Amino acid sequence: MSEEMYAKLTQAVIEGEPEDAELLAKQALEQGLDPLTCVNEGLTKGIQKVGELFASGEYFLPELIIGAEAMKKALAVLEPAMVGDQSREVVGKVVIGTVEGDMHEIGKTLVGTMLIANGFQVYDIGVDKSAAEFVAAVNENDADIVGASALLTTTMLQQKKLIEALEEANLRGKVKVMVGGAPVTNSFATEVGADGYAEDAISAVDLAFRLIDAPA
Amino acid sequence: MTRIEPLQANFDLKVLNKKQLKQVREATLYVLENVGVRFPSDRALDIFQEHGAMVDKDSQIVRLPAEFVLTAMGKAPRSFTLFGRAPDTELLVGGGHSYFATDGCGVETIDFETGDRRLSCKDDVAKMALVADYLSSIAFFWPMVSAQDYGRLAPLHELDAAYNNLVKHVQTETVMGEDLARYAVEIAQVIAGDDDLREKPALSSLICTIAPLCQDKEGIEAAMVFAEAGIPVGFMGMPTMGSTAPAVPGGALTIGNAEAVSAMVLMQLIAPGTPVFQSLLVSGMDPQSAEYLVTLPEKYLCNVAAVQMAHDWGVPALGGTFGLNHAEPATWQLGRDSVYTALMCALAGTDITIGLGMLDASTLLVPEQIIFDDEIYHNHRILARGLDTEMEGIAVDIIENVGPGGHFLSHKHTRSHLRDIWIPELTHPRMEPEDNQNGDIRKRARDKFNQILAEHEPTPLEEAARHEIDTILRNAEADLGR
Ligand code: B1M
Repeated sequence: MSEEMYAKLTQAVIEGEPEDAELLAKQALEQGLDPLTCVNEGLTKGIQKVGELFASGEYFLPELIIGAEAMKKALAVLEPAMVGDQSREVVGKVVIGTVEGDMHEIGKTLVGTMLIANGFQVYDIGVDKSAAEFVAAVNENDADIVGASALLTTTMLQQKKLIEALEEANLRGKVKVMVGGAPVTNSFATEVGADGYAEDAISAVDLAFRLIDAPA
Repeated sequence: MTRIEPLQANFDLKVLNKKQLKQVREATLYVLENVGVRFPSDRALDIFQEHGAMVDKDSQIVRLPAEFVLTAMGKAPRSFTLFGRAPDTELLVGGGHSYFATDGCGVETIDFETGDRRLSCKDDVAKMALVADYLSSIAFFWPMVSAQDYGRLAPLHELDAAYNNLVKHVQTETVMGEDLARYAVEIAQVIAGDDDLREKPALSSLICTIAPLCQDKEGIEAAMVFAEAGIPVGFMGMPTMGSTAPAVPGGALTIGNAEAVSAMVLMQLIAPGTPVFQSLLVSGMDPQSAEYLVTLPEKYLCNVAAVQMAHDWGVPALGGTFGLNHAEPATWQLGRDSVYTALMCALAGTDITIGLGMLDASTLLVPEQIIFDDEIYHNHRILARGLDTEMEGIAVDIIENVGPGGHFLSHKHTRSHLRDIWIPELTHPRMEPEDNQNGDIRKRARDKFNQILAEHEPTPLEEAARHEIDTILRNAEADLGR
């Protein structure tokens, strides 16, 4: 019975059915199943499979994103039901966004999605976000990493502002900063005092693992 | 010598038939009235509200009934003139020619001497302006890369480098926000001299809309400043199928169309009769890496449809060509794709067209690429012209004169017409006294580039004008910082 439910949750993530995943999560709780086991035996297996299918070229981005969406919907039901010190294992918490004055959305969203698929908890705050908004999101979510994307030569300087703002808020020792976007380079990242730069989404994931000292 | 050889298409390539054009227009008007477009600018929202559009200040979404759109668009001119800073550089946009320009605004350059890939700078803009001034394929100039050595003032320094090295018209795609736009208008006024900028716009601007269905605050506020100064403004929708637009070309075109026309409507409310133009660059994405893809057949079809749609609103169309997904010049892929982008646009009757000289999806400046693109352009220019079947073009009298057998080599008619047959220079170079052609086409392109750079001398900007621009740049720096 419970095995069947875990398999269904796995399947809902693989097939990318957010509504089904949410419904299944509710049913699982009604049946008295342990929420943490539902996550570990059901959802996590599903998102891992989605990741594999993506890596092998079978799945495209929408399948990856909708798979993550299905997982999120089910988690929203399961996590509040966890008891005691039960909590889902996440590799690390990342706040990600595009800097102030910059509306380029896709690169940042892709990096965020790849991080989710690799077990990170991601808070995507959107585009055109000021240093203060980044700082607030870091505080609110107790983030380990903050990722700032900039696509314009005129907005990349905001990445520096963000780092200064983190220093002012006494968060710099606690949170790692990664930067990226078309005009951004390794040397620019070093110059502004970021902890790392990634050229694309795949290397962004590697970088995130390195920054929090976790095995990829 | 500075020359412009515009393209004039004798074909009328269409992708959408009448019924399809109507379908896209109706879908666009539906979206404008029922979904709306976000204008994150209080000033823009107030203007829409004053004129009776449906404005929701909280969401910043403006909805426009069909009547409202069509009435405003009725005020936009179908043609207007762009000016350079020398005679013979004026362009009658919408007058039947297609004027081409460089691509912009890249962020990296293959260094002119070392060949290393590095960040772009102001000097790159200056050098490319000089080469563009020479090439007859280039009718007007987009600063090709970002003047990154000038921080937030980069867009103004790009204009300075352009005006100092080229007499042709300049169009900016990087001046954003009211502040920079005001300084850009001042610079343009220096170029126009005693003439009214409205009469002789020496600058025009291209602002991108934000798919799906948004405007950029800085972009739209710059556009308002430009419109008030009489500077022509174009709006470019850049919907990407699958990410910022539905994964169907029709949907992407509709989204971009709605964004661009809503902005053009605002311009007509602010300053009725302001010259505006429209551009829709539909792109695709790599389904796994999301890389921005412009080398797709669907995109080429949309390029043509976009021209039809701009003309359907009664405004000129800007086409986006070249700037392909590849970092190496002179490859099979570039040969293939350049034809689809530029030729199809030209045959469809774009009024102005950007794109020569850049690679890696418009982010990388490879110096000699502009020489390759120039040659492709001239191929297209001849192709678009079509054939002459008048008396002179058939030359029956000469056929009769030579008769069966023999040849035409010694005929005066041949002597006077052989030069009309355009022969690609890079693939078929002329004989040279000392044979320095090593057969490498890339070297030939590079040699030509270096030669232009070393020898071409554009008419210099007058001393007084140079000083005035310097002063404006200094004021901007004091006011806004770098
Ligand atoms: C935190 O850690 C990390 C780590 C890695 C990170 C990361 C963060 N963020 C990114 N990465 C990295 O990983 C990602 C995945 O591999 C990669 O992300 P990318 O974002 O690079 O890749 C995406 C998956 C796909 N790529 C993209 O989506 C960007 C493609 C290009 C063509 C582009 C687009 C599509 C757009 N644009 Co813009 N745009 C260009 C871009 C040129 C190009 N070919 O790159 C560029 C960046 N734009 C430019 C310009 C000029 C502008 N744009 C503007 C607007 C737009 C659109 C809105 C139309 C649209 C974005 C739509 C949207 N909703 O996102 C305007 C500015 C608006 C604003 N305020 O931001 C406007 C000013 C144009 C105008 N006149 O209005 C140029 C910059 C020039 C400069 N001076 O810097 C530009 C190079 C194009 C050009 N050649 O002109 C990596 O960079």
